[in-house]
Amino acid sequence: MTNNPLNSANNIISLSHVTAGYDKTPVLQDISFDIAEGHCVSLLGSNGCGKTTLLRTIAGMLPFSGDIHINGKSINAMKRKEIASYVAFLSQISSVYFSYSVYETVMQGRYLHKGLFFEKNRSDREIVDETLESLGLSQIAGKQITALSGGQLQRVMLARCIAQRCPILMLDEPMNHLDLKIQAEFMEYLANWRTTTLTMPDNKAYKPTVIGVFHDLNTAAGIADDIAFLKDGRLVLFAPKKGALTAERLSEVFDFDVVSYIKSHNYEFT
Amino acid sequence: MKNSSKSIAAGLLGLAAVIMGICIGSVMISLSDTFSIITAKLTGGSISQSVDASLVSILWEIRIPRALSAFFVGGALAVSGAVMQSILQNPLASSYTLGVSSGASLGAAIVIVCGFSSSILGFLLLPVVGFTCGLSTVFLVILIASKLDSGFKNHTIILFGMVFSLFVNAALTMLSALNQSHMQRLILWQMGTFSGKRWHHVAILSVFCILGTIAVTFYSRELDLLTFGDEEAMAVGVDTKRAKITLLVLASLLTGISVCFTGVIGFIDLTVPHITRRIFGSSHKYVIPLSMIIGGSFMVIADLLARTILAPQEIPVGAITALIGAPFFLYVYFKKR
Repeated sequence: MTNNPLNSANNIISLSHVTAGYDKTPVLQDISFDIAEGHCVSLLGSNGCGKTTLLRTIAGMLPFSGDIHINGKSINAMKRKEIASYVAFLSQISSVYFSYSVYETVMQGRYLHKGLFFEKNRSDREIVDETLESLGLSQIAGKQITALSGGQLQRVMLARCIAQRCPILMLDEPMNHLDLKIQAEFMEYLANWRTTTLTMPDNKAYKPTVIGVFHDLNTAAGIADDIAFLKDGRLVLFAPKKGALTAERLSEVFDFDVVSYIKSHNYEFT
Repeated sequence: MKNSSKSIAAGLLGLAAVIMGICIGSVMISLSDTFSIITAKLTGGSISQSVDASLVSILWEIRIPRALSAFFVGGALAVSGAVMQSILQNPLASSYTLGVSSGASLGAAIVIVCGFSSSILGFLLLPVVGFTCGLSTVFLVILIASKLDSGFKNHTIILFGMVFSLFVNAALTMLSALNQSHMQRLILWQMGTFSGKRWHHVAILSVFCILGTIAVTFYSRELDLLTFGDEEAMAVGVDTKRAKITLLVLASLLTGISVCFTGVIGFIDLTVPHITRRIFGSSHKYVIPLSMIIGGSFMVIADLLARTILAPQEIPVGAITALIGAPFFLYVYFKKR
């Protein structure tokens, strides 16, 4: 297994020999790697190789065997709320059944920080306003989410994650439904967000860490510090992106000649 | 209009519905008589000579308990319907999705067929056995669904609820086919009615309905989050399995207590939550308490119509809830907000 060369004291997430899956059929087998605090990791692999399952497992949503540590603590020993104070998870949401306003939806990201009942305190409201503003959602704050386009909904759900103020952000195909302009804005936002620091309830400041599944190879390579290659539920390689993204390895992971395909399909814009 | 003023309007509507349910009937009682009787009863004072003594007993012994029973049953059903729809993320889910009504009906059928129901003990036995069997069915569904599916996913719960309901219904059909002499009583019990409701019914129903609604309201934020799906709720820190089981049990208690006293009354549990969401938005801190008020008012009106439009013949209230409910629901649902 390839380990991150950084000192393990800086590892915000570490997995050792993790096997996980649904209803006793393992999807992931014997995965081990460490993610350094502040890094961005792209998961690469073909459909069904276990990328989403890996994200869900790290977020403690699936039963697994092996060890997963977040900030040095085993997630088996953590309550749901404690995990959610470290990890925000943007999953692929396709439809919503019941309607809430954009503001209400983003406020749900503050679930952990609110008291027993539904009284919002001032700092929660400030955080939500600030998040809406920074993602350009202030104008539609009063709109019902059932009336939004797929792209707008995706941004609202991202805002909900950001409002959670977690040091770890997991993104499962966040660019789905987004048009090019919004994609560019999204990437810029993410890059900016990564330069901030987040203070946790334990009063320690953390550099934001991102683990993402990106559909587009360019995006995935562009944003990442490290790449995790998955194939058939196994980790092929976890390494800094420099030198890892060879044509040979991509062909192996995706089972076809990816680089020639991309090159031969480059349209010459005039 | 703001939600707070709309809530006050809903409260006044509820009050008006209950007063109508009390005053209108085969014997009309004027508002002033109604108020003087109620104040006298509540303060222990004497009733003025102008009020007929028979009116006092009609009002106090029959009408008020009946209207209040209808109110609390309607409220309990609407709240449990709202909970079911939200946690199962399914607008078609209802209070009966997990088999409460089938279980309760089978329990009642066994009591009726065995002939226990004619004794004094039987009057007590019927609701108690109905309630126990209804809840046992739900617990069995939850237990098996959570054993077979560690993620406790919504479609597993719905599927198990439906399979169990059908299974229990089949047992009920067999039982009725083999004991045709008792069939009519059973059908009447299942159709649901508020006739013969007394103050002790009101006492039990009100306690369950009010405490149940308050308990569910404490879970408003979890309910909001669960409508986005289990994973989304977990991601912000909800212990979904625990929250779902707690809420399913609360919703089943509310349905169970209603079914065991009044039989199976449909439609309110399905439509009232949708109507409430249309008016107040989906936030459960509004949806839950207001579903109770709107569901209660709706049931009082339905019961009023059931006993008056073809008087002295009484129509099953379940037929009325569907007959006036369906068009009203379509109107509210498709009218622009």
